[in-house]
Amino acid sequence: MAQNISAAPEQNIPFWRDERVLGVFAQIGFIIVVILGAKLLGTNFASNVNKLGESQFICRDGSFSYRCAYDFMGSEAGFDISDTALDYVNTDSYWYAFYMGLLNSLKVGLLGVILTTFVGLFVGIARLSSNWLVSKIALWYIELMRNTPLLLQLFFIYFGVLLALPLIQDASPVLGLPIFLTNRGLSIPAPKFMSAAAIWVAFLILGIIQFQVTWILLARQEEQTGRATNRWARGLIGFFIIVIAGWFISSSVSDTQGLLTSKASRIRDVGDIEKVMLNRTNLDYLDEIDTLSPEEVDAAALKICVLRDSASEPNLIRQIERIGAPYTVRRFDRPDQVTAAYVEGDCELFAASKAILAAERATLENPSAHLIVPVKESPIVWSVPRYDGTNIFGGSKLLPEFTALLIGLTIFYGATLAEIVRAGILSVSKGQSEAARALGLSESQRLRLVVLPQALKVIIPPLIGIFLSLMKDTSLGLAVGYPDMYQVTFTTMNQSGRAVQGILLLMVVYLTISLIFSIVLNWYNSRNVLVER
Amino acid sequence: MTMNVNANEDVIVCKDVHLWYGEFEALRGVSLTVKRGDVIVILGPSGSGKSTFIRSINRLEEHGAGEIVVKGIPLTHDVRDIAEIRREVGMVFQQFNLFPHLTVMENITLAPINVRKWSREKAEETAMKWLTRVGIPEQAHKYPGQLSGGQQQRVAIARTLAMEPEVLLFDEPTSALDPEMVKEVLDVMSDLAKEGYTILAVTHEMGFARGVADRIVFMDYGEILESDHPDEFFDNPKHPRLKLFLSQILHH
Repeated sequence: MAQNISAAPEQNIPFWRDERVLGVFAQIGFIIVVILGAKLLGTNFASNVNKLGESQFICRDGSFSYRCAYDFMGSEAGFDISDTALDYVNTDSYWYAFYMGLLNSLKVGLLGVILTTFVGLFVGIARLSSNWLVSKIALWYIELMRNTPLLLQLFFIYFGVLLALPLIQDASPVLGLPIFLTNRGLSIPAPKFMSAAAIWVAFLILGIIQFQVTWILLARQEEQTGRATNRWARGLIGFFIIVIAGWFISSSVSDTQGLLTSKASRIRDVGDIEKVMLNRTNLDYLDEIDTLSPEEVDAAALKICVLRDSASEPNLIRQIERIGAPYTVRRFDRPDQVTAAYVEGDCELFAASKAILAAERATLENPSAHLIVPVKESPIVWSVPRYDGTNIFGGSKLLPEFTALLIGLTIFYGATLAEIVRAGILSVSKGQSEAARALGLSESQRLRLVVLPQALKVIIPPLIGIFLSLMKDTSLGLAVGYPDMYQVTFTTMNQSGRAVQGILLLMVVYLTISLIFSIVLNWYNSRNVLVER
Repeated sequence: MTMNVNANEDVIVCKDVHLWYGEFEALRGVSLTVKRGDVIVILGPSGSGKSTFIRSINRLEEHGAGEIVVKGIPLTHDVRDIAEIRREVGMVFQQFNLFPHLTVMENITLAPINVRKWSREKAEETAMKWLTRVGIPEQAHKYPGQLSGGQQQRVAIARTLAMEPEVLLFDEPTSALDPEMVKEVLDVMSDLAKEGYTILAVTHEMGFARGVADRIVFMDYGEILESDHPDEFFDNPKHPRLKLFLSQILHH
């Protein structure tokens, strides 16, 4: 059926009033502005780089090229980093030092994001509480934190609170627990991961997959037969069987831990320690060790040497304590120090990873007189902090710099987030709460099931901004001396004189982190959009 | 119907209920007794306190003086009693108040699963029963935003019924609906009335009031001015303000 559609009346519009022409002009104008701006910045940048001179761009073969701008990052860093996630020594490269800084930034940033979420949610809800005191405390907290500079708060927390804690000489367990709080930081018991952990985690994932599959299959079966099948119990039993089996398998497969000992010690295996100790003490059983005098026990004690805070120590000690042998432990900062003590005869056993031990054995006068004995390893060992009168070792240590930065970022951004949470909750109409109450939902169910899911729509877009700001503000670690990415790069730039490279690198990495954050959160946000007609 | 076994039992007893918003007294001594299976329509000009009154029965508003007893449970500050009363009293709102982030099915099963602690299977089965009952089983997996107003209100009714309440409060359930959708909601309400639910409805639907109600209550200025059988109420009004009200709504 042909219909006669008459075209819209086309008058003679002068082009400066034609919206189509105007649109094109606006686009062209904008492009010109962008190009001019980029050219201005670009030529400025290029001329400044040229002024820096060729020495900035030396390649390894001695020639000069812009492509070699970052070659200096491969050379020795030469500076110490007070807090690193992985092993680092000042002979490592600038790249590796930068990587340590990046890990520190991510550690503070991600922990900060998690804690900020909790604080913001809690305070935001408290602010709306009908309890006068709770809501006023929340109000004061928010106003105080939002209206003072973050830098000032960091200084206050670091110098005013954390450095005012007891000196290390006065360290004592907090509440009788193996926790120490001094001006050098907070030491708490913590799990340490060994190489076997990687294999065990694979079993853990396998267990979770198993649980999911069992759950889905049983759910289908339930649907067909209409009978309950105990999905929880059956899924969990399978999960624990896999995880526990994985624990033993991964510890028997892993073969990275060892002991360095002389052939004369006659220890060929950790199990031999019992025989050696029985010989030494003239006892029939090690249970009878109590019958000896303290001096005799001290004289017989096994002299163990380890690297400070290594996971090898708790791993070996657990096995020796199971045997019941008396022992002493000495801790050193570097492998060569342990080797020196070993040569002096201060150490009978040097416990570390086999790789370190092999390297150290090679430096001994007569390597063939010494053995590397394998030690069984657990995927995860529990390390408890101890105090020896001058130092605290073991466990996990939160340095005051790290703690100050984490607490500062958390309470500052927590206050900002609290206001966003409040706005989000208020954006949900009163009728929603009334319907939830009328249906008999409790107050916490009302919040959790009805109000918060809807408030999230309003909360998430500004939340992305808060998380990004927090992530970037980890660079304020410079103020309290926390070795984050910014501080490490700052030191690198000072030492090498490569300011342009350093700043560019920082910009690229911060940008990458921010973009990843945005993508993930925007994806989550898009899933939360309400379906409308 | 099992609900009629104890007919004549007092389900809701209100004695001299007062309610203040700051200085303003919204309810000025309301007394009303509702027996099991009663269908009561509350009429009155806007601002007369009729919505406030039924909302105080399930504690969406807190009465300042007087006594409200639902199924023998006195309404006080005791949160356990309030929870108990809310389980027995369902409410349907003018603005539907469906949860827009949940599907129709999830809207209906939310309270049975979380309050009554039913299994998901049982809750969904019951939800389908009620959806069929209000005539829209095919909408179960849509979101409220995808339904028409009339359908949304019927979902809201199904959601309320799924908690198996004995008393239903309707707060102007058809006022936000387009005219052609009013009937589908009133039909459902009439059926529920016939099945023996105890109903208190605030509505302006005179046809429903006359045809379905056992008793009509007229409120103004926070007081009950007249309470009577529908025929008597409409044909022989006694209070001058009721006469005025009826003349305003019936003759134009």
